[in-house]
Amino acid sequence: MERNLKSLDKPDRNPAQFRSTLRNKLQPYTPVIMYILRRFGIYLITVWGAVTLAFIFFHSMPGDPFSIIFSALERENIGRVTGGPEVAAAYKRMLGLDQPLFIQYIFFLRNVLIRGFDLGPSFINFPQGTREVIFRQLPWTIGYFTTAMLIAWGIGTLFGALLGWMRRKGFTSVAIAIATLLQITPVYIIAIAAIILLGYQLQWLPTGQPYDPGLMPNWRDWNFIKNVLWHAVMPVSSMVLIWGASFTLGMRSLMISVLGEDYLTYANAKGLSPAIVLRDYAFRNALLPQVTSLGIALGGTINGVLILEAIFVIPGIGGIFIRAMALHDFNVMQGVVLLSIVTVLTLGLIVDLFLPFLDPRIRRLND
Amino acid sequence: MINFKLTIGILLIALLLVTAIVGPLITPHFFPGEDPTEVGAYPTLDLPSPKHPLGTDILGRDAVVIIINGIRLSLIIGVVGGFMSTLIGVILGFIAGYVGKRTDTILRIFIDMVLVIPILPLLLLLSLYIPKWNIFTMGILLGIFSWAFVARTTRAQVLSLRERSYVDLARLNNEGTLEIIFEELLPGLLPYVILSLAGATVGNMLAEAGLQLIGIGAGLPPTLGSIMGRAYNGGALSLGLYGQLLIPAGILIMVFLALNLINMGLEERFNPRLRQYAEER
Repeated sequence: MERNLKSLDKPDRNPAQFRSTLRNKLQPYTPVIMYILRRFGIYLITVWGAVTLAFIFFHSMPGDPFSIIFSALERENIGRVTGGPEVAAAYKRMLGLDQPLFIQYIFFLRNVLIRGFDLGPSFINFPQGTREVIFRQLPWTIGYFTTAMLIAWGIGTLFGALLGWMRRKGFTSVAIAIATLLQITPVYIIAIAAIILLGYQLQWLPTGQPYDPGLMPNWRDWNFIKNVLWHAVMPVSSMVLIWGASFTLGMRSLMISVLGEDYLTYANAKGLSPAIVLRDYAFRNALLPQVTSLGIALGGTINGVLILEAIFVIPGIGGIFIRAMALHDFNVMQGVVLLSIVTVLTLGLIVDLFLPFLDPRIRRLND
Repeated sequence: MINFKLTIGILLIALLLVTAIVGPLITPHFFPGEDPTEVGAYPTLDLPSPKHPLGTDILGRDAVVIIINGIRLSLIIGVVGGFMSTLIGVILGFIAGYVGKRTDTILRIFIDMVLVIPILPLLLLLSLYIPKWNIFTMGILLGIFSWAFVARTTRAQVLSLRERSYVDLARLNNEGTLEIIFEELLPGLLPYVILSLAGATVGNMLAEAGLQLIGIGAGLPPTLGSIMGRAYNGGALSLGLYGQLLIPAGILIMVFLALNLINMGLEERFNPRLRQYAEER
């Protein structure tokens, strides 16, 4: 009790003074805080806007999913489905699709933002929710694509730095030509070429399934894991080839522009050893924009995910999307689109928030 | 001095255009009295023979002829889509860059929003509602969904052009807004517009092929993409008819390569720092 009273008497416990000391202490960081707040505000607005655009897009489609499903049923069975309209109306009422669009939008926002990405039931696995359907397959997509992207980034960054450092010596022009050709080749062509060459012709690697059909999926079974990894070799290595090439070229041009800077000439003139100049001066400075491009690439692969998962038969969210499309499962389709929007934006935000800590120049830029 | 990259790029594009325009006029003469593009004209998946150097496809059409026609169709899709996205992109990007202030902030956020919405899923969704595709719907749809990138680069260009001293001079001379836009800004912007048009055209050709590979765009006449898709999904590969897949793929890569070469060549030509670099070699 006595100690508490004493500490209250201390001058820095005085609220006004405390605030001013706080302000003084935070003073040097104000630009950073402003930067973070601004960036976060833009993030929230963009997420809201993109999600709204997606909502408008999905709900401006003519007709409702149930009428489409029933008319597709009729077409397939060549005849009338008895009671189709009544059943469709009942389902619509159950899912709230008979409400005015604005009310639906409010509910949609509440479900997505407050209830944690709850998009209602999936039509393909009816009683299950969209969220469960998507999140169950998501590990496949993350496993394949994130692994491939990170390996590609690592290899591409090191190789690109080397190519940039060597300028035009030795094999660089050949390596650059190969990388350029790989970079401009569409993703799916490399994928198909890998399947034809390694899968059909040489029969080195398995194709067309994520694991042998006889195996039961069991993540505690080492044999199963080995099988999955073995099947992942071809998809992952062709993705590494595709993305590694563009990371290499990106890093190389960053490296070349850093090598032209005055501080590098100065570092060389000081007599620093080339290894230190390469590591601490050139590589570190070129690395920052390369980190940004990793964030962008990680988020922006949904189009590639769809095509590559279809070609390599990976049971990830791309596969779900295609299956959902065949069965007119709008909730799942919307879920995949929203997930990819939020992922892209969130990764962009994370990268942008990390940059001021990595790069002092951005901190000063806001002064 | 002849720029090596520029020349090869232009030659490749010229070769492609000639094939696309002249090819369909010549091919009928090799098949008198027959229509090699008609479904079921020949046995399906025939192995290569002197009459059908690449064999026939799963629908019994001559592969060489449909590839030649496919170049033209793919180019039309690409150009229609490219025009569409360049038009929307340049108009929005120009408004954002030129008007500036609050308009710019709003438009920029809007462009960023559209940029993060994945194109392919939305096109797949739309495809549910399009019972019969034709090359124009395909081109226009691709264009509508891919303008955001053009808008972004145009905005950046306009922002830098707006601050040039000759634009300030025009303003001091009391030139009207329209005069400044059409006489000072647009001529400076034109090279970028042309480049982004070319880029968007090729991008749309590739996107169309990707869509076809996962089975979207049924009912289109055989574009390069649908020839590849049929060859891949229709069993032509297991019979060893690799040409039906690899040749359309090679043509698509060639277009992209040509565009990149032209781009690099132009840059070396007009960017003095790079020109020096290129001449050293």
